[in-house]
Amino acid sequence: MSGTGPRENIFPTRMALTNTKLRLKGAQTGHSLLAKKRDALTTRFRAILRRVDEAKRKMGRVMQLASFSLAEVTYATGDISYLVQEQAKSATFRVKAKQENVSGVVLPAFEVDRVPGSDFNLTGLGRGGQQVLKAKEVYAKAVETLVELASLQTAFMILDEVIRATNRRVNAIEHVVIPRLDNTIKYIISELDEMDREEFFRLKKVQGKKKRDAEASEAQRRLLEESEAPEDYQPELGGGGGDLLSSKDEDVIF
Amino acid sequence: MAWLGFSECGLARAVAQAIGDEDTVTGLLLAGIGHVSQNQKRNFLVVDSKTPIPHIEGAFEEFTERKDIAILLINQHIAEKIRPTVDKYEQAFPALLEIPSKDHPYDPAKDSVLKRVQKLFGE
Amino acid sequence: MEALFFNVNTGFLEGIVRGYKAGLLTQNQYNNLTQCESIEDLRTQLSATDYGNFLANEPLPISTSTIAEKATQLLVDQFNYLRSNAVEPLSKFFDYITYAYMIDNVILLITGTLHERNTQELLERCHPLGVFETLPALCVATNVEELYRTALIETPLAPYFRDCLSASDLDDLNIEIIRNTLYKAYLEDFYAFCSSLGGPTADVMTRLLAFEADRRSINIAINSFGTELSKERRAKLFPTIGRLFPAGNNALARADDIEQVRQACDGVAEYRAFFDSGSGPGGARGQNGGASESTAHLLGDLDTGGAAELEDRFFAYEVHLNKLAFLQQFQYGVFYAYMKLKEQEIRSMTWIAECIAQDARDRIQDYIPTF
Repeated sequence: MSGTGPRENIFPTRMALTNTKLRLKGAQTGHSLLAKKRDALTTRFRAILRRVDEAKRKMGRVMQLASFSLAEVTYATGDISYLVQEQAKSATFRVKAKQENVSGVVLPAFEVDRVPGSDFNLTGLGRGGQQVLKAKEVYAKAVETLVELASLQTAFMILDEVIRATNRRVNAIEHVVIPRLDNTIKYIISELDEMDREEFFRLKKVQGKKKRDAEASEAQRRLLEESEAPEDYQPELGGGGGDLLSSKDEDVIF
Repeated sequence: MAWLGFSECGLARAVAQAIGDEDTVTGLLLAGIGHVSQNQKRNFLVVDSKTPIPHIEGAFEEFTERKDIAILLINQHIAEKIRPTVDKYEQAFPALLEIPSKDHPYDPAKDSVLKRVQKLFGE
Repeated sequence: MEALFFNVNTGFLEGIVRGYKAGLLTQNQYNNLTQCESIEDLRTQLSATDYGNFLANEPLPISTSTIAEKATQLLVDQFNYLRSNAVEPLSKFFDYITYAYMIDNVILLITGTLHERNTQELLERCHPLGVFETLPALCVATNVEELYRTALIETPLAPYFRDCLSASDLDDLNIEIIRNTLYKAYLEDFYAFCSSLGGPTADVMTRLLAFEADRRSINIAINSFGTELSKERRAKLFPTIGRLFPAGNNALARADDIEQVRQACDGVAEYRAFFDSGSGPGGARGQNGGASESTAHLLGDLDTGGAAELEDRFFAYEVHLNKLAFLQQFQYGVFYAYMKLKEQEIRSMTWIAECIAQDARDRIQDYIPTF
């Protein structure tokens, strides 16, 4: 019903009606576009979800292999963890972020950027250097997997956020904006109808009044004629009840 | 929105970070993620059974607030210790990754991100 | 002659050490260990061996490093017992054994000091056999010369440091070079000492030390490929003893790849076998080809071959040599050999524990059995 839902506070005119109708149209187009975007993002999101899931599980295995290669190092050289911690100077394994555009959403993607460095090159020089080298490689591979996973995960988080926002908008348009515009239109239409009816009634009223006025003036004119006629035409109307057709009886309608 | 801020800081060269037990950190350092800045600040933290939990939390907060860091790696069993803090963390950047350690195999059920994944799948 | 008087001074200790040797894990026990399902099983199995209840008081998730630590502690106790009962020149011989650990500790401390770490924390990580009185004092030094003058001059390591005084500042590259220079000097000195003892001790020990020296030379050569270690400096790190010295060492110093290393070792029949792929003392390696292949597959293609196996063959050969040392009586080599065998056993045990903990059963056979 026009009066019940929330509506915009505008003056009900035909101009406003046209405007509101245009806006409704816009809202509907926007709604369908956003819904499409949401669907596209969700498709992407689902794909990423699956990959995140897979990658997480793969990471479990890769990290296991990696820590095993470290066990090999420990086997060959003894405990090197302290030396390694102390010798860390600057990262040779860095991460570069680049951006990817998915239906208007900027997704960061991490890229491995390895600078050839000489850290730990001489660790285990006298013993176990090969194992250290191997562990380095295995761990580098493992970290690459981690980086890949990280970019998937970041994409996941961002997409999640964006999808939520899009959903909010879609829902807002669907459940707030469109009903409100609808209500406004209904309100304007009903208001205009009301005005039409009022106008019609007013016209009727005016017409009736005009008619009554016209009749009143007619009657008065006739009365005036009648009062003057007997003086002029009295012999002609000697006997009889006069001309029935020429005069109207008040009570007889036809 | 959180992700809008990304374009400014994202292009800067970012480093990965690690909080973990000794073996994990050693391995990651071997891979070359270790970075010690001018003022002797390291981008990794070795946690053992004696490390107090507030200390881990402090490092976690500090690492997540730094702008030059792209990925934060944390051992799952250590994340478990500061689970409330980890679960509260929802930013996309730096990306938080829970990794398994030698003695604690990976448990997908505990991962804060995977939990969300599962929730979305099972909705 | 030496057999006549040997037992007066050393007979008791030799008896002890041979008794210790009898307590080393046998192949059968190793087999039992590899069958374990969990670390707790492993502990139960170990309690039936000479190790006894050494893990009994550990809280339950026992890490592999705890096992290694506790086992090392047992070894240290045994060693200290032997050492405290020894008389000259055997006590001197024991001192020499500890020098290797001292070198490692000194290097560890220097590294830590460079990065301004907590001294206490560093000392905890030192190998217990290599602890000496002035060790904490090392933390004050900032360059090699200062280090030498303030702390090391009092220690037996002082003569070894003479060679590396030229390295003026302590950076990470230098530290690794210092370590190897020290080790070289140590091996040469130990070698000279053993030779001076004469008799069967000299025979046995020179053989062991020669192998140790050669192994280091080969390793240094292989590991320095592609690093900024120049060939001249590399050559200076090779011990001037061993079967490869001098011709083989010269060839190693010039080597650029593994093939040239192989050629350098061609002169010694035993070493040649190390480089023959597939066969050799580490034959057990053949069966895990599948395992490393799947590893390589998962991680992309990595070079897992060649050199890593070499290390295993060195270990196996070292065990072999050490076992030979027990065949001769009336000599000190047994003590050294026992130490090395026990260390190898701890390594093997840790390896098995590691395989169990990480569920890598296909590699569990890769330990080097002692007896």
